[in-house]
Amino acid sequence: MNVFRRLAAQWGERYRKMSIQMVLSLSFTAVAAAGMLLMSVSLLWRITAASEELVAENSQRLLAQANLNLDSYLRRMMRISDTVYYRSIKNTDLAGDDLTGDLSLLYEENRDDLVSLAVFDGEGDLVSAVPLSAMKKEAEPAGSDWFQDAARSMENLHFSTPHVQNIFDDPDYPYRWVVSLSRHVQLTRGGVTESGVLLVDMSFSGIEEVCRDVTLANGGYLYLIDGGGELIYHPRQQLIYAGLLEENNRAAAAYRDGSHREEFQGQSRQVTVKTVGYTGWKLVGVAPAGSWETSSRQLPLFGLTLLLFSIFLMAFLNYLISARISDPIRRLERSIRELENGLAGVEIAEGGCYEVQRLSHAVGSMVSTMRHLMDDIVRQEEQKRRSELEVLQAQINPHFLYNTLDSVIWMTESGQQKEAIQMVTSLARFFRISLSKGKSLIPLGDELDHARHYMNIQQIRFKNKFTAEISAAPEAGELYTLKLVLQPLLENAIYHGCASAEDDGIIRVTAYREGEDLVIDVEDNGLGMRPELAASLLDEDRPELPTGGSGIGVRNVHQRIRLTFGEGYGLTILSEPDEGTLVRVRLPALSREEADRCRQGEVL
Amino acid sequence: MKTKQNQANHWIQVAILAALGLAAVLSLILPQLLQRRREPQLLSLSVMLRDTDSSGWSVARQGMEQAADELGAELRFLTLTAANDSAEQEALLLREINGGAAALVVVPADPAALSAALNSWLVVCPAVTLESPMEGAAGVVSPDNALLGRQLAEALLEDWDGGGVVLLDTAQSRGGVADRLAAAEETLAGAGVPVAREELLPEGDVRWVMAFEPTVTQRTAEEKETEGRDFALYGVGTTTAITAQLERGSIAAIAAWSDYAAGFLAVRRAVDAVRGGTGTLTPLPFSVLRREDIYAPENQKLLFPVMSSSGR
Repeated sequence: MNVFRRLAAQWGERYRKMSIQMVLSLSFTAVAAAGMLLMSVSLLWRITAASEELVAENSQRLLAQANLNLDSYLRRMMRISDTVYYRSIKNTDLAGDDLTGDLSLLYEENRDDLVSLAVFDGEGDLVSAVPLSAMKKEAEPAGSDWFQDAARSMENLHFSTPHVQNIFDDPDYPYRWVVSLSRHVQLTRGGVTESGVLLVDMSFSGIEEVCRDVTLANGGYLYLIDGGGELIYHPRQQLIYAGLLEENNRAAAAYRDGSHREEFQGQSRQVTVKTVGYTGWKLVGVAPAGSWETSSRQLPLFGLTLLLFSIFLMAFLNYLISARISDPIRRLERSIRELENGLAGVEIAEGGCYEVQRLSHAVGSMVSTMRHLMDDIVRQEEQKRRSELEVLQAQINPHFLYNTLDSVIWMTESGQQKEAIQMVTSLARFFRISLSKGKSLIPLGDELDHARHYMNIQQIRFKNKFTAEISAAPEAGELYTLKLVLQPLLENAIYHGCASAEDDGIIRVTAYREGEDLVIDVEDNGLGMRPELAASLLDEDRPELPTGGSGIGVRNVHQRIRLTFGEGYGLTILSEPDEGTLVRVRLPALSREEADRCRQGEVL
Repeated sequence: MKTKQNQANHWIQVAILAALGLAAVLSLILPQLLQRRREPQLLSLSVMLRDTDSSGWSVARQGMEQAADELGAELRFLTLTAANDSAEQEALLLREINGGAAALVVVPADPAALSAALNSWLVVCPAVTLESPMEGAAGVVSPDNALLGRQLAEALLEDWDGGGVVLLDTAQSRGGVADRLAAAEETLAGAGVPVAREELLPEGDVRWVMAFEPTVTQRTAEEKETEGRDFALYGVGTTTAITAQLERGSIAAIAAWSDYAAGFLAVRRAVDAVRGGTGTLTPLPFSVLRREDIYAPENQKLLFPVMSSSGR
């Protein structure tokens, strides 16, 4: 029981590892093979049975023919005996006549089949005989079986088993095998009837000729026995007589007419028996089992070949069909696996039969929906990022505008109309560049102009407490930059660097190209700060400090640049107390085309 | 992982398909190859007698032909220009071996000399002897010669009423015949019967004669009949002539065995030896028959072979 469970568990484990195509293919093949095997066994059994019947019929037909020939031969011998008896013996009075003439005539007519014709009286003394007329001195016919059979059963004709005739004195000593046909006869001698025996010695070769040409199928043979099983003819008779071979003749004598199965010397064979009329002899046909069971052993092998070829063909077809069924499922599974692995642009394979198509279509729809949802999320994230950016940009304007307008009010009230006009003019240009038609990326020149206008405004406000130098290298002139990155830095430089300094401050803005980057340095000679403080200014976790300027500071700029261009860009602040501060802006060196693509949302 | 599993499944199915296809092809081809292998090649066997004609071996020859027919062999019968010429027999056998004979069936004229001459050849061309054993041969087909000689002597003793017995010593070099003679001599001498070995039938008054070869038995009986001599002859053999002589009373008793069986067994053993068999041969059964025993049913089968003209 445990063995079965273990096997079932192993099979279950194996089954789980199988592909659907293999399960289909193996299952169909196994069922088909079992069916074909069953049919083959059934067919083989039926063919074997039919073949056995055919062999039996063939044997019976051949035996019937042999029986006919043998019966004809024996009847001819009986007719000879009748002729001798009824035409010669009954018409002859031995006291005056001799039978030899009639016997000679008959003998000559049938000498091919006859060895001798002889008539004996009741004591066994020779009355007449041909072709030899003298008996051996020591011959005792009355003691012979054929004589005693005739004397014992007067009404019948008796056929002996083969024996060597030893009655007649033949100088050649031919020792011929004969089958003796004997009968009781009434002899007339001087008008008195007396018993006698008529002997017709048939040549054994006559019987042999009848039997020897009968060949049964596949090595089968025929032999002849008398009613007691004594062998009369056998194709290997002398081997049997020499003790080198055995035959099952005694058992065959007990068989009824028809076909029988027997085991003899470890061999199965089919024995067909036919009784020869009148004599009680039996013709026995022997067909070895192999002759019908295998038809030379080819039938089962041919059947096996057919079976194997059919199973092979079935397995091959099953393999193809199952592959055709399972391939779309496998392609679908592969598509889903690629999808799981995050491969972009995966097409969900659709194909196969209706159910698989529906399944593929459903999965495809699901994936499409998922993609739309993901696109929406990305778009929303983008939107959110842009909104955040716009909010950051928008944060600049109110503070700066408030301070500038406050300065304009102050200058107007104090009669500095010229400065007020200059300031308002710079403010107007400042905002025009700020707007830039809503573009976030503007030419570097515009950004530097924007910085100049801002510095003009601030210089008016701070009464030229500092000077500004803004320049750009020629190779950087055509590049584009994120707008409004300099103004917050200048604002910091003014408020934290120069406003509190005792000396006149210098704020220097220098733009140049460095490899694939655009670098803009904003440098002042103000109070400076400790390097660790400078480094922490860009830290997003650092609490917002009051700046006294626009209130937004460098972190705003730093975040905008990184949001727009990525982590590799942004600000670097280098500062030392009483030495001044350098804020370096690093941006990608964007041409006009690149700036346009960037505006359209492409990833750089 | 999944892909590897799929690959494994794929190859398992391909392997199953290949195995099935191979099995189908093999089941188609193998039976034919095996059948071809099973069909035995026709063997060429040479049968060498020690007489000038084969008439005395006609029954044995039919047994040989029966065996050859059944076992797929063809026979070449060879006789000598002079009976018992050992040198000619050696030369003829060597010629047969060189001519491609697969095996030999020999009635050796001189087993020792023949063995010495053929010894190196007997490995490639096995030989089976009739009548006398030979060293290096694959077997000998004969009755138990010593027992035969003893029983034949005992048959003589049943009739013996005095006088010496002539033992015709015609084959000193042939072991089988010599064994018969020696055993008969020993038996007779043991019974106090005077014996004398003679190469030829002596002239004069002889009452008891024993011959140990069929040809010698037949020849001695013929001499007895033609010369009208009166002695009791005890011999061997089952030829028709010997049987007739037995029936006529020229021979008192014969030791008889089936020449048909001897011929059959000799060829069967020879074929078996060629095909690598190592079967052994048992001595042939024999009977000592007198005149009155000839027509007993079993003796008829022994003395008068039924020769099927069809064979099988």
